[in-house]
Amino acid sequence: MLDLFARNRVATLIAVLFVAYAAIGAVAPGYLSGATASVVISNSLVLMLISLGTMIVILTRNIDVSSGSVLGLSAAVLGLSLNAGVSLPLAIAFCLATGALAGAFNGLMVAYLGIPSIVATLGTLGLYRGIMLVLTGGRWIEDLPQNLKALAGNHGLGFSALTVVVLALVALAWFFLRKTRFGRYFYAVGDNRAAAHHLGVPVRRVQFAAFVATGLCAALAGLVFAAQIGFIPNQAGNGIELKAIAVNVLGGVSLLGGTGSVAGVFAAVIFITSIDSALVFLKIPAYWNDFIAGAILLSVLLLDGRIRQIIDRRIRARRYAVHERGPAQPADTTKARIVEAGR
Amino acid sequence: MTGSPAAGRVAKLTDIWKSYGAVPVLKGVSITLQAGEVHALLGGNGAGKSSLMKIMSGVIPANSGAIEINGRALTHASPAHAQDLGLYLVPQEAHILPNQSVLENICLGLAASPRALRPRVEQLVTELSVSLDLDAQAAALEIAERQIVEILRGLVRDARVLILDEPTSALTPFETNALFQRVRKLQAQGVGIFFISHKLREIREICGTISVLRDGVIVLSGPLDSYSDAEIIDAMSRVQITAASGKDRTGRKVSQIGRPRLSVRGLSGEGFRNISLDVRAGEILGLAGVVGAGRTEFAETLFGLRPQSAGSVVFDGEELKKRSPRVCIDRGLVYLPEDRQQHGLFLEAPLFWNVSSYLVHRLPFFLRPGAERKTFDDFRASMGIKCTGPGQEAHGLSGGNQQKVLLAKCLSARPKVLILDEPTRGVDVAARNDIYDIIRKLAAEGVAIVLISSDFDEIEQLADRVEVMAFGQSGGELTDDISVDAIARLAFGASEARHA
Ligand SMILES: Nc1ncnc2c1ncn2[C@@H]1O[C@H](COP(=O)(O)OP(=O)(O)OP(=O)(O)O)[C@@H](O)[C@H]1O
Ligand SMILES: [Mg+2]
Repeated sequence: MLDLFARNRVATLIAVLFVAYAAIGAVAPGYLSGATASVVISNSLVLMLISLGTMIVILTRNIDVSSGSVLGLSAAVLGLSLNAGVSLPLAIAFCLATGALAGAFNGLMVAYLGIPSIVATLGTLGLYRGIMLVLTGGRWIEDLPQNLKALAGNHGLGFSALTVVVLALVALAWFFLRKTRFGRYFYAVGDNRAAAHHLGVPVRRVQFAAFVATGLCAALAGLVFAAQIGFIPNQAGNGIELKAIAVNVLGGVSLLGGTGSVAGVFAAVIFITSIDSALVFLKIPAYWNDFIAGAILLSVLLLDGRIRQIIDRRIRARRYAVHERGPAQPADTTKARIVEAGR
Repeated sequence: MTGSPAAGRVAKLTDIWKSYGAVPVLKGVSITLQAGEVHALLGGNGAGKSSLMKIMSGVIPANSGAIEINGRALTHASPAHAQDLGLYLVPQEAHILPNQSVLENICLGLAASPRALRPRVEQLVTELSVSLDLDAQAAALEIAERQIVEILRGLVRDARVLILDEPTSALTPFETNALFQRVRKLQAQGVGIFFISHKLREIREICGTISVLRDGVIVLSGPLDSYSDAEIIDAMSRVQITAASGKDRTGRKVSQIGRPRLSVRGLSGEGFRNISLDVRAGEILGLAGVVGAGRTEFAETLFGLRPQSAGSVVFDGEELKKRSPRVCIDRGLVYLPEDRQQHGLFLEAPLFWNVSSYLVHRLPFFLRPGAERKTFDDFRASMGIKCTGPGQEAHGLSGGNQQKVLLAKCLSARPKVLILDEPTRGVDVAARNDIYDIIRKLAAEGVAIVLISSDFDEIEQLADRVEVMAFGQSGGELTDDISVDAIARLAFGASEARHA
């Protein structure tokens, strides 16, 4: 049982999540319903996309703090082109291209010019926000067309088209990182860059690709944001990158690179969003949100840390228990060794 | 392909030049490798062996020169490109991905999935007669196991050209023997192998051809049989060195000093149980055993790095109950760790920081870098450390020179009891003799020394007394007649006896 928790943070997270759901369900019957689930999912989409992108970069032992600005910039490109009369599919293409370009510029600086990622993306955090403000002249973009907002509207089962797209993307990311060789490269680059290089992994290309993927995710988040809210304030996405980093830590992604899973990030996003919705449901004033979310984040991390320590101790004990019992090698190899030794 | 067996040549380097910054390291090196040839590459620490091999495998670019592998040119410096051409380098310091499993570590970069490769890897593990848990996290591997993982990477890749850069520096004679059997098999299949080692005995055993590199040029090359050990050692260094200076205990009178400096009673901890031993001032105690016998764990527990579960440690008549590295250093119990890259050196820091790092808590509040540099320069002169200056970063040094810096760091703490864990791993013949002299001199000055080594020759040459550990327990003691054979018999006999 403990082993399960040790192996993945996801299990700890889901266990805590269930306890929390049960408690809230007991206090406020009616919380646990399909409607809540639908709200939680659609509220989580933006954070989900940003966290997913951030995770890919963190896996390669870099960091991206510019995603919030990329979100804002690509949403602005989307809104401006729509309001200029560009058709919806073409506007979406512009939006995604903006994200990809922004990510590629980050990737260029980090992977090919060797600028530390925190410095490079802190720079573009301001730069991209600045470009957005220049483009919009500092004004909010309003009166977005109806067909954009319709993307976020519920279809029959309580899910919007965007929800389906995002969930499909999450599944795709999981498959790619877990099941393909190129996906494994992302872990390898973050785990030990020199080793990856030595074993023939195209280290720079992988780092670059991670930033482009993050840019695309942020652009898609911009699209979701605009569709859900219906207008684009010029602070759109401000500060979400830090929340995404917290989500990653909560979901078991090591900031040192090389470990983490899509499932963990998914569970963490749902967890954080559920807290928000539960607080609303329990009629706790909104200004408590940050306090409670922070406290829960720390408790989960502490709990997880304790569990890990216990497990580590056990693994060590098991490893060294061999010596209590006697030799580990089978007799024949030992014999062979003695013969060789007598050379 | 043009690299037909008829031509017989699998690799050719022509006029390779390389410098790091302004310092030239390789000055026009040309070398060829035939199919089925095991080619020894020798040279002192910092001669440029690893640099040459890294260039050949695309890890670092050369300044000029041509590289041809299997008849095709290596056009740009990239390990992936070199591997495509059929070359793999097993590097001097193992590259490990700590968060991946051992199996994933071995199979990374290969087209086939780890699951598909598993049977092959398992077979290779058996052939090398090592015990390695393929599903364990690589972070937990010890240095010898890391080296084995690197060797497995090379073997599983079916390379036509295999470079082994000091593959045996952390292995005992057994793993080495098994590796050599595997190498002979590859040789029979027509694989060309470059083999780097500082141990002449090993080179005599496995290699057919030899090249000696000195100061970036090849000074001797040809069939190994036609050169004597003395000629080879002469070629390696312009300074005259006598081959292995042999046993020499002049100036030390061990038996006269009564009280033990360090006395360990029934110590148990992670990986070892009930170990008792005494070391007297001026004595060199050898601690022998096979890989995994628990010697490093024992040393780390003595130094307060691991928890102890039973027993006592008495230092100069006073029991050290709560040990931490700080307490130990302040008393004069100093440990030289076996893994210089992980536990020994601050690789990004200048050399003089490294040397004063054991005493960092005793430095004045306002640092005096001048004095620290001076200390380093003294060691540099007395030990012959090859570097550009005290301000150079440690990662820029060749393996053997890093080892000397590590030793200097321990000596700067003015030890009374010095625990040396593999003090000459990767150190060249000349420097090894230097280090031996330093160790003997320390003992003559009254330092008690515990020498842990996988190299039984080394123990034979230095030790006054030998304790053997096997499977974490005491396996016997040798007081007189210390010879390689006697040590081997005891080390492996003890494991056998315990097993029966
Ligand atoms: N990254 C680097 N930056 C600067 N100098 C370096 C670097 N790598 C190696 N050198 C220098 O190049 C020289 C050759 O180093 P190299 O590692 O090739 O020696 P080596 O023959 O393999 O020695 P050893 O037997 O100690 O492993 C050394 O003097 C070393 O200081
Ligand atoms: Mg080397």
